[in-house]
Amino acid sequence: MDPRKIMQPSFTAKYVSYLVPALTNIGKQASPSVGRCIDAEKIVRYEIDMALALSAEGFAWSHALEHKLRLNVDNHNHAGKSQSYLAHDDDHRNTMPVNHEPAAKKLKVDRTRSEPEAAEEEEERLTYLRKLIPGGSGEMMVDDETLLSELGSYVSCLELQVNVLRSMLQFN
Amino acid sequence: MLHRLESLKSCTYDRMDMTVLERQAARLKWQQQNHVVQNNNPAELCASSVPRFQGLVGSNLGSGQMVELKRLEVFLGTDNFQEFLNFPVTGPEFGDSEKLDLLPPEAAADYCISRTSSCQITALDTAVMKEEREDMSLEKMESTIVSGRGSFNKRKAETVADHKSKDKRIKGEGEGESEVKTKCSTEISRNSSKENSKVSEVQKPDYIHVRARRGQATDSHSLAERARREKLSKKMKCLQDLVPGCNKITGKAGMLDEIINYVQSLQRQVEFLSMKIAALNSSVENLPMKEFPAIVANFPAAAKLPEMAGLPCFQLNPLQKESVNCMLNESMHPPQTEGIASASVSISEQSLSSSSMTQLQPFSTWNMDPQGLYNMYNMGFH
Repeated sequence: MDPRKIMQPSFTAKYVSYLVPALTNIGKQASPSVGRCIDAEKIVRYEIDMALALSAEGFAWSHALEHKLRLNVDNHNHAGKSQSYLAHDDDHRNTMPVNHEPAAKKLKVDRTRSEPEAAEEEEERLTYLRKLIPGGSGEMMVDDETLLSELGSYVSCLELQVNVLRSMLQFN
Repeated sequence: MLHRLESLKSCTYDRMDMTVLERQAARLKWQQQNHVVQNNNPAELCASSVPRFQGLVGSNLGSGQMVELKRLEVFLGTDNFQEFLNFPVTGPEFGDSEKLDLLPPEAAADYCISRTSSCQITALDTAVMKEEREDMSLEKMESTIVSGRGSFNKRKAETVADHKSKDKRIKGEGEGESEVKTKCSTEISRNSSKENSKVSEVQKPDYIHVRARRGQATDSHSLAERARREKLSKKMKCLQDLVPGCNKITGKAGMLDEIINYVQSLQRQVEFLSMKIAALNSSVENLPMKEFPAIVANFPAAAKLPEMAGLPCFQLNPLQKESVNCMLNESMHPPQTEGIASASVSISEQSLSSSSMTQLQPFSTWNMDPQGLYNMYNMGFH
């Protein structure tokens, strides 16, 4: 995907330029107490996610992610709790993969299954993918085709994010 | 087709046929709008006659349910047509009270209708639809076209101006027909640019032209469905390039599985890394972070942080080397960092699947723009 190659440097630049100052700020404000550590984790996670959303403008998932984060911040301010944008997905992650992997193994055996069942499985997986990607259940990604495009950009941005974070950890 | 014609010829021109013909002819004079050229029957109008015919017919048509093109099947030759035309016309007995105007003979004479050629029929009358139910003698023909009717009805809503020539594949005509390529003579086709031998759908400016393959259904729904599926498979191929390890996997569900696993593993990695960063943030001074904007090039990070074996190697902009050296010095084993690093080794081994580690996509090196303190990084693998 050529657009991906073009996007990578600008994404990386934006990501780092957002995240580093944010983390520096957190570092300055953090106190060594345990309670704060938990908060610090969440704040860091928030900043990491926000950096992702802001560095990859123009995608449905990035808008959805930003929106979710801001909502969470509001909730945090009101209710004192903040959640990672994936938090609600953790439940799915716990439950679905259990069903999911056997299904995956099954799939290899049952490739000769009839069409509608295969289509059903595909549908299942698409639904699951919708939960994984931010904004996947929103109205922007109702179309399967859009979903796949968004997935492509999301995957490549995730990769970039992981790389940046790893390299950041290298120095520390 | 010939045998049908003969049977028609042999039969007396009963009322049914008559009225059908009458209506058809009458409609040619109608100034209505119907542009459907939906008939699946193969018939081809000769170029010279068509413009005139179109002028007559196109404007005549009503809400255009169906192109009663199949009627033209009988017109296998101009002479036959003439015969039909010359038959005395009696008063219409159907609801529509059209005058009985027949096609001018010259128009008819110009008709050439051949069975195997594509049908270029401009819209014919809609009332023929009504006649069909009364059309006993042509039942045989009808039965073959019945399957196309449904699509006609749907298509009528989509039809465009009468002047467009349309190619239709003939449904239900049998195996031989299904291989008939639809062609349009350029004179016939006002949309000659759109029409080509591969068109198998109604001509419309924003239609997607899809070639229906042999043995496949050709109604608009399945064609649209097929186009959609092709788009989806294109996207799936793109994703296949993105997600490592998908080259061997065939099948949509398997691919989706892989994508799901990959996305999940990436998200888990992000979570893990963010926890580490948070830990670092709280435990260590963040001085290095200030100078981070320069991304470091290959240095033996692997030695320090063994779990990060698959780390990216960055290419350094020479301007940044200074700050990089600073960072390196700063990061030379602060005890807490090491503690965290070693403690996290086991975690990382669990959480980071080797597949994701070793299969992260290699990015090409890339020199950044003027702002650019960054070059693209390559994934370096042990």
